[in-house]
Amino acid sequence: MSDPTDNGRDDSGRFVKRTAEKVHNLHTPSEDGIHPLSQILFGWTHRKGIANIIFWVLLVLSLILLSVDFFVERHDYLKFARYTGFYGIWGFVCFSFAVFMGWPLGHLLRRDENYYGDAGGPPEGIDPEAPMADDMPAPKHTSEGDA
Amino acid sequence: MPTMLASLNPGWVLIIAGVASLFITMRRARQAVTIAAPLLALLLLVFAPQNADLMTTEVLGLKMVLYRVDSLNFIFSLAFLIAAVLNGIYALHSDDRIQDGAALFYAGAAVAATLAGDLMSLFVFWELTAISSVFLILRAQTKAAYFAAMRYLGVQVLSGVLLLNGLAYVLKSRGNLSLEAFTDLSDPGVLFIFIAFGIKAAFPLLHNWLQDAYPKATVVGSVVLSVYTTKLAVYALARMFPGQEHLIWIGATMTVFPVFFAVIENDLRRVLSYSINNQVGFMVCGVGVGTPLAINGVAAHAFADIFFKGLLMMSMGAVLYRTGTVKASQLGGLHRSMPWTTVFCIIGAMSISAFPLFSAFVTKSMIISEVATAGYAVIFLMLMFASAGVLEHSGIKIPYYAFFGHDSGLRVKEAPFNMLLAMGIAAGLSIFLGLPALFPGFGHEWLYGLLPYREEAMGYSHHHLFSFEHIITQFQLLVLAIFAFVLLKRIHAYPPEKRGVILDTDWTYRKLGYDLVTWAGTVWGKAGPAMSAAFFRLTGRAYNWIEAAFSPRGELARGGVLSGAMAIWTAALLGIVLLLSFMAVG
Repeated sequence: MSDPTDNGRDDSGRFVKRTAEKVHNLHTPSEDGIHPLSQILFGWTHRKGIANIIFWVLLVLSLILLSVDFFVERHDYLKFARYTGFYGIWGFVCFSFAVFMGWPLGHLLRRDENYYGDAGGPPEGIDPEAPMADDMPAPKHTSEGDA
Repeated sequence: MPTMLASLNPGWVLIIAGVASLFITMRRARQAVTIAAPLLALLLLVFAPQNADLMTTEVLGLKMVLYRVDSLNFIFSLAFLIAAVLNGIYALHSDDRIQDGAALFYAGAAVAATLAGDLMSLFVFWELTAISSVFLILRAQTKAAYFAAMRYLGVQVLSGVLLLNGLAYVLKSRGNLSLEAFTDLSDPGVLFIFIAFGIKAAFPLLHNWLQDAYPKATVVGSVVLSVYTTKLAVYALARMFPGQEHLIWIGATMTVFPVFFAVIENDLRRVLSYSINNQVGFMVCGVGVGTPLAINGVAAHAFADIFFKGLLMMSMGAVLYRTGTVKASQLGGLHRSMPWTTVFCIIGAMSISAFPLFSAFVTKSMIISEVATAGYAVIFLMLMFASAGVLEHSGIKIPYYAFFGHDSGLRVKEAPFNMLLAMGIAAGLSIFLGLPALFPGFGHEWLYGLLPYREEAMGYSHHHLFSFEHIITQFQLLVLAIFAFVLLKRIHAYPPEKRGVILDTDWTYRKLGYDLVTWAGTVWGKAGPAMSAAFFRLTGRAYNWIEAAFSPRGELARGGVLSGAMAIWTAALLGIVLLLSFMAVG
């Protein structure tokens, strides 16, 4: 294969170097460890004020979805499920209830990581370069009944 | 196909390959086996004739049907085998003979149990799943994994023992061990079998082994474990206990209670273990309803769950592999360095949350629809609560805390290519299964065509599945729940992720029971010698007293207090004995 010319084409006119470079660049993280694909797919999540935008978009979408119930007659077998806004309100209430219960349950049930005396690091076979592997060295069991 | 191959249970192919893998030291050759064996087994299954005893034997006068395919076990074993291929791909980066062998053997035992044609054959492979899977936990080689593996093995073997015990009763009362469904739970044998199945399905209060062991297994191990044991139990329940009303309440409870634990759990693989509980709950509930459409829903949801739950477990495995942790409090912002894993995790999250055009939407809805049709209002509300709950912990929490949220600053490599490939296939399946039938047999219709009651499934597909009403109500539930998340985050009402363990009911034996036994041991250590000393003191005194009375130098020999009276007493005793003898004879 001949060397590509300045416009990135080889003798047969195919884009060789540039395409290869593009593909390569798309899969090579930058020096600060950021994957180029993440910018393309999730770059929008770094925008300033994105949290506000998501909040208002979801609020409007929720209101639209709820208002659909005024125009559609549903045929649920269970009577209460036919009430206007039932699914949306039930979803909202259940989700919030589960999350709010997290506060008292967390206080009641959360204990120190070594509560049962077996806290340790990650399992065998993880990437040797894993940054968190030494976070808490894994005590290896040495014999039966080792406590 | 040669007759011998045609009558070979596909699970056995995996079991044989699993044993062989233990001895193949050449890494690539072994890995070729781990992928080729399930592919061969898939071929055997697909071309196997249905509703015929393909392999039988007789042991001690008991006829065992080792291989029989029908519409119910076909779909379960098909999912098991496809998952085995994906697991083989997912494990390609590692070089662990025991893990590779155990994973294949375990998958094979689950397939062989599913394709068994009688309860005794089911029992044999039921036990083999327990014994082989424990190595996937042990291979983590941590102290926590070792003890969890021992507890896991104990519980799993207990399930097997209860099953065998139940079989003995059933064989006596029924005269055979066929797969004819049970109806009466008051029969003790049937109850034993029900509890044995319940342990593997992780019924409430019998569930702790799952959350205890799965998160402590190896990266590959927890992916493999998430597929088989619980779904094998769902199959067994669907086979032997369809329409058993107790299962409706048990299943609904299973969907609800893990939601509360998953909200506060910090270990994301443990969150997914609670999520297994939650999804299996939907299936158990469907078995309890027992109508053809509900059983369709059970089989379809099990099929879809194997891939989306496997996918979520794989994505968390990839995070653990690259970062060394899956604790939500230590993660965040990983989409910057693992964008592919992020995309696949989001697909898994949307699938499990039952977004329209994703797999659970076309499977779970059959169960919920049948619950509503049967008029179980409270159960319906519980299942809708659980649907919002699963969105919370698997749909939002898993991807949000691992890949978005607060940036942990961790910059790692993207997951290895083999992991991405396995995740990609699972993600593709999760989307494909949820698609409308653009042409006959496409998307969800492919899955519906494999279900035990095909006509009912197709009827549901044509009249309800993609109706405007169904899609809009599902979006109302999900979008309003997501809005709740955003709102709670905005007002700082969402509990922060904190390090720590969350106590579950296994506290009763891991802490209370263990402490009680330790205390009893300490007490015995002190009380034992004291009791021994008291005993010997007492017996020593008794000996001295007896010797003082009866020895040749004793009181009696010398006449003593009984002097003169001895002959009279002897005669009196003899008289009484004679009198009693005469009365007895007379």
